[in-house]
This record gives sequence, structure tokens and C-alpha cells, in this order.
Amino acid sequence: MSRQSLLPGLGGIAIFLAIWELLIAGGIFQFEYLPAPSRIAIGLIGMLRSGSAFVEIVHTLAATIIGWLIAVVVGVTAGAVLGLFQTARRYSLASIEFLRPLPAVAFIPVALLLFGFSLQTELFVIVIPCLWLVLVNTMGGVTAVSQRLQDVTRVFRMSPIDAVSKVYIPAAAPAVLVGCRLSMTLALVLAIVAEMVGNPEGLGYAVVREAQALQPEMMFGYIFITGLLGVGLNSLIIGLSALILPGVFRQPSIEWEQA
Amino acid sequence: MSLFELDGVALVLPVPGGLRNILHNVSFRIASGEILTICGVSGTGKTSLLRVLAGLTAPTRGRVMFRGTPIDGPQDGVALVFQDYSNALLQWRTVARNVSLGIERTLYGAALNERIAESLRLVGLENSAADYPWQLSGGMQQRVQIARALALRPSVLLMDEPFAALDAMTKASLQDELLRVRAQTGASIVFITHDIEEAVYLGDRVAVLSGMPGTIASTFDVDLPRPRDQITTRELPLFLQLRHQIHDAIGRHT
Repeated sequence: MSRQSLLPGLGGIAIFLAIWELLIAGGIFQFEYLPAPSRIAIGLIGMLRSGSAFVEIVHTLAATIIGWLIAVVVGVTAGAVLGLFQTARRYSLASIEFLRPLPAVAFIPVALLLFGFSLQTELFVIVIPCLWLVLVNTMGGVTAVSQRLQDVTRVFRMSPIDAVSKVYIPAAAPAVLVGCRLSMTLALVLAIVAEMVGNPEGLGYAVVREAQALQPEMMFGYIFITGLLGVGLNSLIIGLSALILPGVFRQPSIEWEQA
Repeated sequence: MSLFELDGVALVLPVPGGLRNILHNVSFRIASGEILTICGVSGTGKTSLLRVLAGLTAPTRGRVMFRGTPIDGPQDGVALVFQDYSNALLQWRTVARNVSLGIERTLYGAALNERIAESLRLVGLENSAADYPWQLSGGMQQRVQIARALALRPSVLLMDEPFAALDAMTKASLQDELLRVRAQTGASIVFITHDIEEAVYLGDRVAVLSGMPGTIASTFDVDLPRPRDQITTRELPLFLQLRHQIHDAIGRHT
């Protein structure tokens, strides 16, 4: 997010919270378990002071990043191979097109049957859908390398290794990084879902646990932490992308913000 | 010895729904050190002919020799400049690192940097080394591509309508720059264009490519004095006469 849009953005959040607070203080909203933002804040501060949320944050963060990394490594490798070799693409495209649109949550029962209520289940649920996203974006990026750049690799008599590392990969990098970034956000969502129904640990389980314990302040506190985590992970990967490819991501024509 | 020697070259390429004859019975020689411009209207196979010379496309029939040996792919010492500079440059590399693309496997450290600086000086881009191509105007991007080719110290520069996408003033200044670079480096140049005046202004010889499939219809020696000048050269009776003859030669076959 650019600096100019940061202040109005924060202002918007403040106005939303103020209206929420007023609606509850004025008695217009009367839900037994919908606390005012001020009470959520107090619960949140208590939670952070006692350190009770720490274990959950670490668990969710670790599961998200490990799952994402597996998806990225496997997805980029497989996507690059499929992008470079037409024969490989011809044999596997039908399978990918069948598996890809399956909803992520459809894998939860499969994972539960295979791995029970465990971290493996959580990782399985994270990796599979993220993998498609990275793979399809990488493959698309590699196949879209222009005929002209392919000519350039030949005219400069580049070795296959040089052609791939100096031209194909950097040319495909924007698409690859879009896949990586989208799958990072997806990985967090899937971690939370998996923790709610498959692996009783982390922030997702904490939200369910506090709801069942009739502790709405705590529940909203955990939701808030999850949101912050999402924003943090997203900024992290945008920053990393700009570091990896400074030339590409300073280019105004690439609508990096919206990807 | 001729630099390039083409003998009965024909090219047939697959197109959707069949095969198309692109070139037919093309035979000519390119002498070492000359500027040969190849002029013709669209669809006569100008770009295909250049790709054959570059070793990017193998001819269907006939023989293409470079320095006396048949070519089987891109040759050492032959550099190619494409018309679409923005696609041909690596947009994620700075100007200097684009120029280094063809030489970074053979040169290192100070020698590499010196060669990059020298190539950028030749095209007047010494102050843009750290910029990215997309920050530059079209004319400057095409200069980067020319510098990238010159960095190889090529004996031949193959150029595919390199100035066609540029405005008239940029085009004129790049034409003069190319002639200056040629005078400094002594490289041979094969220059494709559909602009008759450009063909005459730059060339030692003009070959007219015409017909479908295309073939060399005629060649013209350009005995205009060098250095050439955008105003006075273009006013010479011989310039106007050649322009007229080439125009007729192209027209007769279309």
C-alpha cells in the first residue's frame, strides 16, 4: 500500500470502529455476544500481556509458512518443467484442469481420513490448493515468454542453462511472484480453516474455543490477530518481491498492487 | 571472400491450413565491410530473409554460406537488432546489464565494464547505464539494443527495420549514428527497410526484394559520397535518381 493511501485507510478503520462502538453504547445493536471495540481491545491487551496468545500465533504462523514454502518449491519446479516442455504439458494439463477447480475445503475430509487430527492434516489442506495456484501461474509465465526473447537467447548463442536462468525465469518472475503472493494469503485462510475443523491448535482453534466458551472479547481478539497476521505476511512478500526483482516491480505499468 | 553467399535459397513455412512459400530462388553475395540495404514492401519475406542470414530459420532449399562455410545456426560474430526493441530488451535488467548480456560469459571485471562503457559511448548512452529500458524513450531503447549488439564486436550487424517504429527526427539521428558507428567499427551491415529513401541514404548497395514468394528483383549500387548528410545527400541528383529507379523496381513487381 502506498504512503498516500495509508492515512485515509486508517481513518476509514477508525470511523468504522467508532460507529460500531456508538451503536452498542447507544443500545441500537443488542446482541448478547457482540462486544464493543473498546471491550475487545481490553481483552486483546490482557491476552497479549499474559502471553496466552503467543503459542497460537507461533503455531499458525509456522503452519502457514511451512505449507506455503512446500507449495512454492513444488509448484515453481513443476510449473517451470511444464512451461518449458510441451510434452510434459500435454500429458498433465487435463489432470491439472480437473484437480485445480476443486474447492480447497473438499480436501479436509480426505486429509482427516489420511492423517487424523494432526499437523499433517493442516499442512495437507494448506499445500494442495496453494500448489495449484503457484504451479499454474509459473507455467503460464514460462509459456508466455515472448518469441522475441527466445530469439534473443539463440542469437546470443546462450547455453540452455543460461537461457533458462537469465531469460526464461526472470521473464516469468512477475507471474511466478503473483502466484506466490496469492498463495500466501490463501495459505493463512486454509490454516485457520484446518485448525477449526482438523487440527485443534493455533489461532483457528482458538477462535472456535473462545466462541464455545462464550468469550466473545477473546474470540474477536483472535480474529483481529489473524487479520494483522494476514496484512503482515502480505507486506512481507511484497517487500521480498521488490528486493528480488527491483527492475520489474518499480515498473509503473505492472499493477502489482491489485494482484 | 564474400561474407555471406546465398545460392538458390527458398523458404517454405507452415502456416495455419498448409504451407506458404516465403522466399524463392534468392541468390546474392554480401561483401565484407559493405552496407547492404534490402528494400521491399510488406509480405515479400524481408524479415524471413534476415532470419535465414542470422541462422534462426533454416532454408528449405539452397545454400547459405557465411565466410565460406554453410551455416547451421546463429554464427559467432553476427549480431541481430530487432525492430521491436521493447520485446528484445530484458526489461528487468539495467541498460548496462542488457549490454553485458552477450559478453558476460567471456569477459569479466574491469574488461567487461570497459567494453560495456565503450559500447554505450558508441551510441551516446553513457549517462543512462543505470536506467532500466522502460524508463527510456523508444529511440534510446533502440540505441540500447544496438549497443548490446556492438558489445559483441560483431563483424556483421543484421538489422530488421530497426528504425521503423520511431518518429522521423529520431530516425534521422539514428541513421547518422549508425553510419558513424560503421565508420568507427568497420562492421558490415545488412539493413532491412521498407523506406526507399532510408535504403538509399544508408546503403552501399540496395537490393530490392519483391514478389510473393519474394526474390531479389534487382540490386543498385549507391555511389553517393560519404560521409552522408541528411540535407545535402538527399538533394543530390543521383539520390533522387536512385530513389526513382528503386521505386519503379518495387512497383513493377507488386
